[in-house]
Amino acid sequence: MKTYTYENSTAWFKRAVKVIPCGIYGHFSPAPCVPVDAYPFFSEQARGARFWDVDGNEFIDYMCAYGPMVLGYGHPAVDEAYLKQRAESDANSIASPRMVELAEMLVDMIPTADWAFFARNGADVTNMAVMVARSATGRKKIVTVKGGYHGTAPWMQAPGHHGVMEDDHQHVIRIPWNDLKALEAVIAEHGKDIAGLIATPYHHPVFADNELPAEGYWQQVTDMLHKNGSIVIVDDVRAGFRLHLGGSCERYGFRPDLIAFSKAIANGYALSALVGVDALRVNASKVFHTGSFWFCAGSFAAAMACLKELQRLDGPNLMRELGRKLTDGIVSCAASHGYTMKVSGELSMPYLRIANDDNMMLQQAWCGECTRRGAFFTSHHNWFLSTAHTEEDINRTLDICDEAFKAMKEGLGAQ
Amino acid sequence: MIYDTLKARLNLNAVLRNLEELPDLDPETAAMIKAWDISIRFRVLRGISARLQFKDGRCTYEENAKEASDVVLFFLSHKHLNGMFDEKAPPIPLKGFKRLGFLKDEFSRVTKRLEYFLKPTPELLEEPEYVRVNTALTLSTAVHAARELVLLDPVAKQVGRQTPSGLLQIQVLPDGPNAWMQYDGKGGIVSGRGKNGTPAATLTFRDRGVACALFNGKLDDFGAVALGDVKLRGLVPIIDNTNLILDRIPAYLQ
Ligand SMILES: Cc1ncc(COP(=O)(O)O)c(C=O)c1O
Repeated sequence: MKTYTYENSTAWFKRAVKVIPCGIYGHFSPAPCVPVDAYPFFSEQARGARFWDVDGNEFIDYMCAYGPMVLGYGHPAVDEAYLKQRAESDANSIASPRMVELAEMLVDMIPTADWAFFARNGADVTNMAVMVARSATGRKKIVTVKGGYHGTAPWMQAPGHHGVMEDDHQHVIRIPWNDLKALEAVIAEHGKDIAGLIATPYHHPVFADNELPAEGYWQQVTDMLHKNGSIVIVDDVRAGFRLHLGGSCERYGFRPDLIAFSKAIANGYALSALVGVDALRVNASKVFHTGSFWFCAGSFAAAMACLKELQRLDGPNLMRELGRKLTDGIVSCAASHGYTMKVSGELSMPYLRIANDDNMMLQQAWCGECTRRGAFFTSHHNWFLSTAHTEEDINRTLDICDEAFKAMKEGLGAQ
Repeated sequence: MIYDTLKARLNLNAVLRNLEELPDLDPETAAMIKAWDISIRFRVLRGISARLQFKDGRCTYEENAKEASDVVLFFLSHKHLNGMFDEKAPPIPLKGFKRLGFLKDEFSRVTKRLEYFLKPTPELLEEPEYVRVNTALTLSTAVHAARELVLLDPVAKQVGRQTPSGLLQIQVLPDGPNAWMQYDGKGGIVSGRGKNGTPAATLTFRDRGVACALFNGKLDDFGAVALGDVKLRGLVPIIDNTNLILDRIPAYLQ
């Protein structure tokens, strides 16, 4: 099996670092891609479940643009809807009817939703959600889960990061995932100050196993917060529309007050949405939050096409089944090489890790060997399935996994 | 208060401590201290203390030293001690009056030598010998400073508490310098020179030139990682957090 090299990616990176801070920053930064020489940095082409890097290497993509790609890159129905809308009007000086149509669609699809508010990125709407909760309750404190990620606004960042002040965290209280006792204690201490809780529907941190909500966890969380007069916000930016088309809360049988969506909502076109219960409609209307590109209509059209297609395909189940095939295959492939592979999180966006590898170095070596052979796996972040992945893709991926285990063992032998 | 205390701890436990290593790295220092047989204690009123012992051509540094010493330099406050490091305030000698001449001449020549290696100029960074010593001392300063920072600096303290337990091994290829930091998962760090057991994360510099350029802010660290000059392995959050902690050093030491 051919292993890839990345001369052109490296050349581009050398240009990038001269004119862009970090060369490539944020979640595309090469820093967590270990070993870095196993990974491409730049791509100019993507189709279906694949992308090609600037060296012409082909990858079956299990990062799916870190979530936005859900139907496959360049999906014809979504692209057609977008292009048609763009030809008619994208940027404009007044709003587009597509915005209304999409809001109606979300209100129909999502039981929690009585209204929808749109922006561009996930953090736009997690921020909005927190402002709505504060406005509705007149309280300042927000409870979040340790290791959770909601974007890069100062209050959302881990303390100690550059550009973030201690004061930015003054009203953020972090508790462990699945820990009702901790929530109880926080409510006992700060109850009258707690505006709300924001958390992902299940816990999907980086560099750690993902954790589903314990039986009854969310129901108790919502009960406790509602009893306290606080708002429950689900950050469904990453998981939204991959677990359930009514919002991931439907999969776990609870109803929050606000849900933030983005990533998969428009198959790669820039869009995010905050949806909420009727009781918060007025408060949402009082909060001022907007952006220059938030009304561009192409994304609304793309989102409607994307969601329709996900409905038609029963996307979440399809991705779950593909995820099951992939992870079952990898688990047995690993076993045949003497490794135990631990699968955690949801199968449509699983996190995999070699067991008994506390420093993750085996995992990094193996993901690197897979990537060098054309299965794009990162070792620190959950992967994503899309409806464009096929059984052949998965079979091909399992062949790659097998070769990668062999190569990893040879590499370890050589060390 | 915290500022002065932490700065004093850094001045002693991270900077002055380098006198232990300097004779091994720099023949000129080794020649200077060859015949010394003296112990010097630094003591702050209701504060930290440390002791340097020169004997048989070696220097040993001891934290929180209580042992009797040939010379005792006393400071009324941490700020006073920092004043000495900034050459703005003399210490109060409590013992060893006969050795004051030694302190003023020989000893200060050695501390000047240390300063010379810790405060590079662009020209000095062109000299391989200088780079060799500077890299080793900067690395040692960093790992010892980290330990102090997580104790007292408000930002580093928070970052330390969020850092998973495990050993970070820092290594410069092909033959060092190396240093390690052991996080206890509760915000504490133990650190030292060399290698130490199975790492949870490794930070490997391709060579001394890369390490030195990075330590002295002459190289973009993200670029160096992407181009493979600096390799990360293992629990990368430990490395990220270490960076955040070390980024606090300039708040105290110039
Ligand atoms: C759970 C979660 N919330 C919020 C965000 C922030 O979204 P964005 O990067 O689009 O601002 C992300 C992005 O990765 C995410 O995964």
